[in-house]
Amino acid sequence: MKQFMKSAAIAATLVLTAGISTNAAANQLDDLLKQVKADRVSVAKLDKKREQEFLSARADKQSLLNKAKADLKAEQARNARLTKQFADNETMLTTKEAELEAAKGDLGEMFGVVRRASGNAYGRIATSIVSAQYPGREAVLESLANAKEIPVLSELEELWFAMQTEMTESGKIAAFEAEITQLDGSKSSAQVVRVGSFNLVSDQGYLNYNDDQGLIQPLGKQPAGGIVSEVSPFLASTSGYSPLYLDPSKGQILNLETQKATMEERFHQGGAVGYVITVVLILGFLIAIERLVFLGSIGAKVKSQLKDTSSPSANNPLGRMLNVYNENKNIDAESLELKLDEAILRETPKIERGINIIKIFAAIAPLLGLLGTVVGMIGTFQSITLYGTGDPKIMAGDISMALVTTAMGLIAALPLILVHSIVAARGKSIFHILDEQSAGIVASIAEKEKQ
Amino acid sequence: MLYLIELWETVREFLATGGFVLYFVAFALFLMWILMIEKYWFLAAVYPKMKSDIVAKWDARTDTTSWYAHKIRDAWISEAAEVLNARMLTIKTLVAMCPLIGLFGTVTGMIMVFETMATQGTGNPRLMASGISMATIPTMAGMVAALSGVFFSSRLDAKVKMAKAKLVDSLPHH
Repeated sequence: MKQFMKSAAIAATLVLTAGISTNAAANQLDDLLKQVKADRVSVAKLDKKREQEFLSARADKQSLLNKAKADLKAEQARNARLTKQFADNETMLTTKEAELEAAKGDLGEMFGVVRRASGNAYGRIATSIVSAQYPGREAVLESLANAKEIPVLSELEELWFAMQTEMTESGKIAAFEAEITQLDGSKSSAQVVRVGSFNLVSDQGYLNYNDDQGLIQPLGKQPAGGIVSEVSPFLASTSGYSPLYLDPSKGQILNLETQKATMEERFHQGGAVGYVITVVLILGFLIAIERLVFLGSIGAKVKSQLKDTSSPSANNPLGRMLNVYNENKNIDAESLELKLDEAILRETPKIERGINIIKIFAAIAPLLGLLGTVVGMIGTFQSITLYGTGDPKIMAGDISMALVTTAMGLIAALPLILVHSIVAARGKSIFHILDEQSAGIVASIAEKEKQ
Repeated sequence: MLYLIELWETVREFLATGGFVLYFVAFALFLMWILMIEKYWFLAAVYPKMKSDIVAKWDARTDTTSWYAHKIRDAWISEAAEVLNARMLTIKTLVAMCPLIGLFGTVTGMIMVFETMATQGTGNPRLMASGISMATIPTMAGMVAALSGVFFSSRLDAKVKMAKAKLVDSLPHH
């Protein structure tokens, strides 16, 4: 039923369209037929042409293939030839190497010996101060030590020559002109004396040979004065023998010396406490000197007065006491004694003044040293708290303050104690003359006058 | 002779290990003993004559009881005591100073030790040993010097006091 309905609808449509355009459609179809016919002819032509092109290309490719095949054959032949040649060469190389080994013989051992010897010599000669006088010897040694081939005769001669020079020169004292590089970088030329392979000296004192840069430099800090003072008479002497301090470690001890603190640096390590101790010492000494001068002059005057009691002078204590007697000749003994005691009381403070201050200073100085010790130790423990105990160099500064102040306290105390005992003895002797002997002197004068 | 040279070498070695402070100790010891020997010699040889002179002068006097006589006697005793006591204070001071000098040596030695530690580190105890011997030897030397002085100086002090007391006793009021 459904099929039927569909066919009926199509038939109806065809009938409708056919009825509308029958004339126009007949013309167009003819044209199309003509066109198709013409096209078929041209396409056939084109196909023919392409076929011919393919055919000719096939011929070309065939010849290419043939050529490539021929090439392959040729290369394979060459490969075979070269492989054979390589194998032949390999065999020949082995033979030749064996021949070479046989020919070298002992020379191979010599190669090792030369390398070792020149390596040793390089180490010694490069750091030796002889190189300050003869620079540039180490270059040939270095190349010998690193060489991969057997050295030639001229190189061997160089090695021999360098070693011989080192040996001969290390036994000589030689003077030569050299450029000295100062610590600030400026350069100057000067006469340098080399003592064996131990030390370089010039009028600037001991010199250091910097082998890294090949420079002659003065030491950062010269050793103690007594050691350096031998240098200039040594430089001045032209014959005979002259003493000189040598550094047998070839500069190491001198370099250690430069790290030591000088007395001045030590003094400043004491810090504020150290300065206070110095002030105490200086003040104590000034007072002691003043006392010694004063007591010395008084003592001398008293001594001369003792020898001549008949003419008392008012410029010394004893004379003034004798004057007291001369003014009160007629009073009784008891009153005279009282007068003399009074006079002694007047004189005593002048004589005893200042002596106790020296004693106090002598007692204070070690106490100040102890204070410095404690302050330094506090600093030490602070740095231990901050940095731990791993590096002793960090603690060293404070410890040296602690020790230096202690030492300074003792240095101040010892002479002050000694000087106090001297001053006190002087003062006491004068005081004894006034206190215990003046009455006796007065009595003996009075006895003489009564007779 | 050889023995002396050996002895001298021992002393030199001792001084070298102990450092420069030993020279101060040696100087103090030397001065102390010179003064003490001088005092002993004075007490044994010079003083008896002085004493007998004073006693003879006193015995020759007719008046020994007046105020004048008393004062003259006191003056003579004081003069004698002055001579007897001369330099005794210095001797005692030197005895007291010896341990202090030793202590000074200890401190300088320790400074050396710490300086070595600062420049060389603590790796090598041998380097520090020289500083330590410079610290300990002067201490010991100072102690020995002081001990050698303490006994004899106190004996000397007692002798001087005794001599003065005997002088006072031998000047009676008659």
